[in-house]
Amino acid sequence: MDGSLSDLNTIIKVRGLVNSFGDHVVHDGLDLDVKRGEILGVVGGSGSGKSVLLRSIIGLRKPQAGTIEINGYDQSTMTNDQMQAARREWGVLFQDGALFSALTVAQNIKVPLREYFHMSADLMDDLARSKVTMAGLPLDAACKFPADLSGGMRKRAALARALALDPEILFLDEPTAGLDPIGAAAFDGLIKDLTKSLGITVFLVTHDLDTLYRVCDRVAVLGDKKLLIVAPLEDVTKFDHPWVQEYFGGPRGRAAASLGSGPPKDC
Amino acid sequence: MAEIVYHSDFVCVEQGTPSSLVRFLGSWTIDNAQAIDEVMDATVDAVDCGAVLDCTGISDLDTTGAVLIRRFASNIDDAGAAVLTGVSSEHKGLLDVISCRPPPAATEPEQLPWYIGPVVEVGEAFLRAVASIARLLGFLGLLLTRLFGTLLAPGRIRLVPMIHQVEVIGVNAMGIVGLITFLIGAVMVNQGAIQLAKFGADVFVIDLLGITLLREMAVLLTAIIIAGRSGSAFAAQIGSMRLNEEIDAMRTLGMNPIDVLVLPRLLAMMICLPLLTFYADVMGMAGGVMMAWVQLDIAPANFLVYFHDNVSFDHFLVGMIKAPFFAAIIASGGCYQGLRVSGSADVLGARTTKSVVQSIFLVIVLDALFGVFFTSVGL
Repeated sequence: MDGSLSDLNTIIKVRGLVNSFGDHVVHDGLDLDVKRGEILGVVGGSGSGKSVLLRSIIGLRKPQAGTIEINGYDQSTMTNDQMQAARREWGVLFQDGALFSALTVAQNIKVPLREYFHMSADLMDDLARSKVTMAGLPLDAACKFPADLSGGMRKRAALARALALDPEILFLDEPTAGLDPIGAAAFDGLIKDLTKSLGITVFLVTHDLDTLYRVCDRVAVLGDKKLLIVAPLEDVTKFDHPWVQEYFGGPRGRAAASLGSGPPKDC
Repeated sequence: MAEIVYHSDFVCVEQGTPSSLVRFLGSWTIDNAQAIDEVMDATVDAVDCGAVLDCTGISDLDTTGAVLIRRFASNIDDAGAAVLTGVSSEHKGLLDVISCRPPPAATEPEQLPWYIGPVVEVGEAFLRAVASIARLLGFLGLLLTRLFGTLLAPGRIRLVPMIHQVEVIGVNAMGIVGLITFLIGAVMVNQGAIQLAKFGADVFVIDLLGITLLREMAVLLTAIIIAGRSGSAFAAQIGSMRLNEEIDAMRTLGMNPIDVLVLPRLLAMMICLPLLTFYADVMGMAGGVMMAWVQLDIAPANFLVYFHDNVSFDHFLVGMIKAPFFAAIIASGGCYQGLRVSGSADVLGARTTKSVVQSIFLVIVLDALFGVFFTSVGL
């Protein structure tokens, strides 16, 4: 019975994933479980295949081998209709936001609503405005175009769009990359508060040590074409592997650790 | 027993004193959002003054549901007081996130009323056109000063990029320019001969071809093809460099983007377009010769002798003189639009299109002015 119970608690299950570009093998038999309701941070050196893993899971890249199950559905055997329905349960925040540049922020948020539902314009307006405020944007940003927003505001707008359909899983690709430390800390806080109050599972790819310390429940480390370790952060920092030790034991790692263990900053 | 005054799948309103009891039922999620929203008006109508909103019946709730609850509450609030009760602990966080009612704010860009919109658009378009022609002239002036500056310091001319541009603009365009002018030459003889045959004057088709092709068609067609092919490429190349901040990087490295990017393209264009025009003349004539041979049975040798005796060299000169002017317009227009790109990739596309439209428009306007000029000086 243990097996089925762990299946219930596992929302994403990756088994034996193989990804390669020509001769260059990125993943060779990678296994990963993401538990329901947790915030999982994925780290790894440049070129260790963090983004490839993310793209494989959200179906933008077809892996050479291996299975990916989300909510118990094997992604490779799903029909187009099932795929379409499954994608409703995901929200994806791309690195640069990937907002549609010809649409305003509010119109961007309404895109998925229009695609999946038929709602009255009034309700859609209200929902869009709620998501805008939920993402911590001022309301006058709703009618602005992405090009008129700063990097941090664009990220927030993209998060609002990713949350438009009330997803079960949120995929974040380098959410704090390119933000100033204040903006990054505020965005970390936003992710943590929102996902906890909405009960969302988060799959978070990052380089940012502060994000790992402040947001993530568990951390997965990619390296040597496999998953080196998945564990709560304290266990990962003690893990005996040269890259992991250098990553967390380096000057930046130590700085983030001393901040992360201190009193949480208000934001 | 309280009287039920309204009942649906998601809402049940019970009449009570002093206020009604509104019970929310079932799954308040995004899937049911439209259905729930549709019963809102009826619910609000069923409530007299104030109401107690009871959330205990809600099985599932997401942010959309929370927004809906807030909408119900604020609408009932307008009629009287609304009090929310029975929120389970797991839904508490959600409602807190959504609790405050965002003031109405525009979510679409502002739009003018339909009867004013077109007038404003016409006016703005006119002003924009005037301003853009003025700016283009300013840019031409800047180019000329830089160009004359290079006469004093010839080392500033970047020879390698210029020769590369000559290959891209000139050599690589020979296929398409040759094919099109060959076909046009053939078509002009073919159609001209049919019309002139009505007067028994079909041999004059050679004069017709000579004058129209050498004076106008060859240079115009070449200029239009090159504007579409290379003018747009200039705008796109320089524009994407602008988006990438490469132009700014260049400035900080002490390189003048006009010298590095624009002058090589301008000079290459001014070298290539006259050469291509000459080539287009030859190919157009070849098409005409072939069609005259096939259709009118005029042997190529006879064609050329007649051509030599009857078509003045002036026509060729008139065509060739125009080529470098057209080249300057196309190159400066393309580069200018490229340098004006800013913001997003959207702008890049719009600017590229604009460079082609503007170049072709200006080429044709200039051609008309040249026509008047050459006629008045008797060429």
